[in-house]
Amino acid sequence: MTQFSLKASRVQPASWWLLGIASAIVAGLNINPVMLLVQIAILVTIILLAREYAPWSQSLKFYLALASFVVAVRVIFRIVFNLPDDSSPIALSLPQLSLNLGFGGNITLLGNLSSSSLVSATSDGLRLAAIIISIGLANTLANPRKLLKSTPAALYEIATAISVAINLAPQLIESLQRVRRASSLRGRSKGLGALAGTIVPVLEDTIDSSLSLAASMDSRGFGRRGFLTKKQIISLRLISLCSVVLTSVGVFLLLVATGSQLIALLLLAAGFLGILLTVRTTSKNSIRTRHKKETWLLQDYVVATAAIAAVTASLLGWQT
Amino acid sequence: MTKSWLSRITITFAGLASLLMFTWPLLIQTPTPNEANLAQTVFIGLMPLILLMVLAEFATGGIGAKQLALLGVLTALNAVVRLLGAGTAGIETAFFIIVIGAYVFGSGFGFILGSTSLLVSALLTGGIGPWLPFQMMAAGLVGLGAGALPKIRASGRTQIRRREIILLSGYGVVSAFAYGALMTLWNWPFLAGTGSSISYLPGAPIFENLNRFIAYEVLTGGLLWDLGRAITTTALVTLTAPALLATLRRAASRAGIEKLEA
Amino acid sequence: MISIKDLTFSYDGAESPQLTRVNLEFAAGEFVLVCGPTGSGKSTLLKAINGLAPHFTGGNLRGRITIDNQDVTGRLPHELAELVGYVNQQPEGWFVADTVEDELVYGLEQLGFARDRMSAELARVSKMLGLQDLLDRPLSFLSGGQQQRVAIGAALAAGQRVLLLDEPTSALDLDSAAETVDLLKALAKEHGVTILVAEHRFHNIIDKVDSVVVVNNDGTVAKGYTHWSFEDDLRQPAIAGADVGEPLSPPSVEWALTTSELTVKYADQVAVSSATLNIKPGQIVALHGANGSGKTTLLWAIQGTGNGSKAVSTGTVSVAGFGDPRDLKPRERLRAITMVPQRAADLLFLNSLSEELAESDRFAGVTPNSTATIFAQLAGKVNPALHPRDLSSGQQLALVLALQLVKGANLLLLDEPTRGLDYVAKRHLAEQLKSLKSQGKAILIATHDSEFSAQVADTELHLIDGVIQ
Repeated sequence: MTQFSLKASRVQPASWWLLGIASAIVAGLNINPVMLLVQIAILVTIILLAREYAPWSQSLKFYLALASFVVAVRVIFRIVFNLPDDSSPIALSLPQLSLNLGFGGNITLLGNLSSSSLVSATSDGLRLAAIIISIGLANTLANPRKLLKSTPAALYEIATAISVAINLAPQLIESLQRVRRASSLRGRSKGLGALAGTIVPVLEDTIDSSLSLAASMDSRGFGRRGFLTKKQIISLRLISLCSVVLTSVGVFLLLVATGSQLIALLLLAAGFLGILLTVRTTSKNSIRTRHKKETWLLQDYVVATAAIAAVTASLLGWQT
Repeated sequence: MTKSWLSRITITFAGLASLLMFTWPLLIQTPTPNEANLAQTVFIGLMPLILLMVLAEFATGGIGAKQLALLGVLTALNAVVRLLGAGTAGIETAFFIIVIGAYVFGSGFGFILGSTSLLVSALLTGGIGPWLPFQMMAAGLVGLGAGALPKIRASGRTQIRRREIILLSGYGVVSAFAYGALMTLWNWPFLAGTGSSISYLPGAPIFENLNRFIAYEVLTGGLLWDLGRAITTTALVTLTAPALLATLRRAASRAGIEKLEA
Repeated sequence: MISIKDLTFSYDGAESPQLTRVNLEFAAGEFVLVCGPTGSGKSTLLKAINGLAPHFTGGNLRGRITIDNQDVTGRLPHELAELVGYVNQQPEGWFVADTVEDELVYGLEQLGFARDRMSAELARVSKMLGLQDLLDRPLSFLSGGQQQRVAIGAALAAGQRVLLLDEPTSALDLDSAAETVDLLKALAKEHGVTILVAEHRFHNIIDKVDSVVVVNNDGTVAKGYTHWSFEDDLRQPAIAGADVGEPLSPPSVEWALTTSELTVKYADQVAVSSATLNIKPGQIVALHGANGSGKTTLLWAIQGTGNGSKAVSTGTVSVAGFGDPRDLKPRERLRAITMVPQRAADLLFLNSLSEELAESDRFAGVTPNSTATIFAQLAGKVNPALHPRDLSSGQQLALVLALQLVKGANLLLLDEPTRGLDYVAKRHLAEQLKSLKSQGKAILIATHDSEFSAQVADTELHLIDGVIQ
């Protein structure tokens, strides 16, 4: 167990998500198409090296296809809904059309496309592609069930509901097919009208059995909570209110004022810390313990450090 | 179960902040492309946080095992129905269960149901990406609104039941379009970028951007998609609401399940 | 250990209470069987002890319950989790975790046990139930008996002194059921756990328990140490209406159903091979076979819809007056053959019995109340405002039979009709089938209940691995 390994299952899912989000931020701040291509290449290499066989790890192709689609859409948009620009050399010359939708001004279609326009469309598209593949990395490498288990206690109930839903889904597909077949015996399996006849029996059965699951969970202690004093509860609510207000103001400032991005980012950071604090304190309300300790191993620290270093470097680069 | 007023203010602010993160291109005249770009990137990271915050706020102390079980069932059903309906253009089956479930079990339940439905459906289809937190938030707001609809229920008189169904299907149309508008607003700067004649133009007057947005909606077929979503949602609500409402209410009264309000 | 004083429990909207003025005492280490007809308050009694009733069932509880001298009346299940362990009717589908170990510690995690105490309890309970070698096994890989042991272990992991089990053997084969009962007895005797088991299949448990509690239909309860008086009453396989079903001499030599060389394949797997069977009008044929032997597939193939889109059937099937059902339009098929699938309730989707009956008349195009008449013949008088899901399993089956029979088919296919029925309901079903037989219907029943088929069937066939023996 202690041996260093970067295989998907040997690294905490939280670390993969940290890396994914960090990489998305780096990509978001990057406008150099060559650097973006390099980043995409690195991401794909990590996925290919680290991935192991698992149901969630097979979606790399999907993310690559989606990323190429986004790049293509950006470029095609630029070509079709072109804004003629005479300041740089023309890369593509097409006949210009004009379209009136009945409101606003005319929309120009096609026409002379400048090379700078083409380059900026491509690099915009590549930036989004890199963001998509970054999230794809996290999703391909992190085991969602393990991640659900390590959610903070404040979100334990919701994580449980999600894992209940994931477990139920295949059963539901089976019951839907079974009931559809059964309702054909009553002559109603066709068309939208049969929908209620299919959904209701399935829902009745599933609600019954999941309530008995709930009964078994509750009988074994699910739902116990620790004790927070009234004062603690009120201060908790105030912290969460403040952090949300800070965040809202931060969002607003980020959008309106010129030159105030730094203040806005600081406000957002304060709001971020507030939200973390709330979630942490709320989690203390829970008395739940864990049988298996999730320990961070060397590989986790390596992945996390890489993620933080990348973000810091690109923030510094962006400021200068 | 009703939340304290402090909680409600927090949720309201969080809702406003997230709406701003959707609608900024049409609400605020941003100065430069660079800032618009920064804002877009920051929001991709911020939206999940706000979402977590709201979910934690709703869940704290409020969800017992029974509500959780129902949440699990409806989320799974939603994800499965969505999976079966996927691939057919304009058919969006995600909303009718959210609307009906939220109406029966309250606005807090509705918010959670909306967001978990989209999450589980993305987990099952591998559709996780930067857009997911935005979809979860928008669907959560749809559920929140459905839970806050006025309750016209009394005895089982058919007239009252009919009014209830008209209310729900009407809300289905409105929410389907609102969801569509929010998501198109989000993907407009994301997909169309800047610098084309129908893409977002930073620094331009709001009216100009509104024109460009509508042109984008029309020319990319987004409006048709929204229309399809609205029609399917209403049709499904109308067809299934009588049976689903009865089933869910029966479950609620049999197991003594309380509402989870905002 | 447990003391129940003047307990009365009624469900919302019910006419009479489910449990009426119950007074019971259970000693530490007592092994108790709780029995009574389906629909009596057996499981309600268990649920009241750990708070699931009324907190998870709705309803209203009066009286006083103490466990280990603590008053627990009105407490929530999770508040009693260290005191009482509860095992659900069908634990296998409803485990909380993926592996044995995670399942066993789930309760300990919820109760906030420290990690070293958790390991100690895990070691204790896995030794007690012989699960040491299975700890890292996924739950879905276990046999039914093993799964039951895990469920019991999970309910006792926090050192609970009281264990409640709702029909623990109903989903098990005979050997695992006997094993489970022996295990429970050992837990009571060697570890001093007070155990209450609600069962309607009680003949393999009754000799092992210390005492028996009978819950009657009127909600009264009696506790005793001898059981023969009520056992004779329920166990008797005699059929009251046996003379109703005097077989008609066949009106003609024509078969109601003939199949020859009927083979069903899924991709390249053969589910049923060369089935040849013939049924006369007024004949009941029972088709025996273990789970997975192809019974259901064969019924669906005869019905003509096929079991799933991937099933391909070859060979001939012919129904009197209609020909091959596979060539019929779906609606005609319903008039030729009536089929009741394994889960009859799958066909019910309206909000009351009366709506179901009226919808059926409308769909079949028959005069109003036709379905209601058939239903009344089968099930007697039932409150038409009831929700179909609130009917007993026997009544649900009768309702589905009525909905299907009103379409006028003379061939009836039943898939495992006795699933979930108690002795009384089975006896009732046998009477119903015999009276249908006397009307000249041909009936094919797929079942693994040999006791039942011995009561009703004229001919018994065995299906082993898709081949009729």
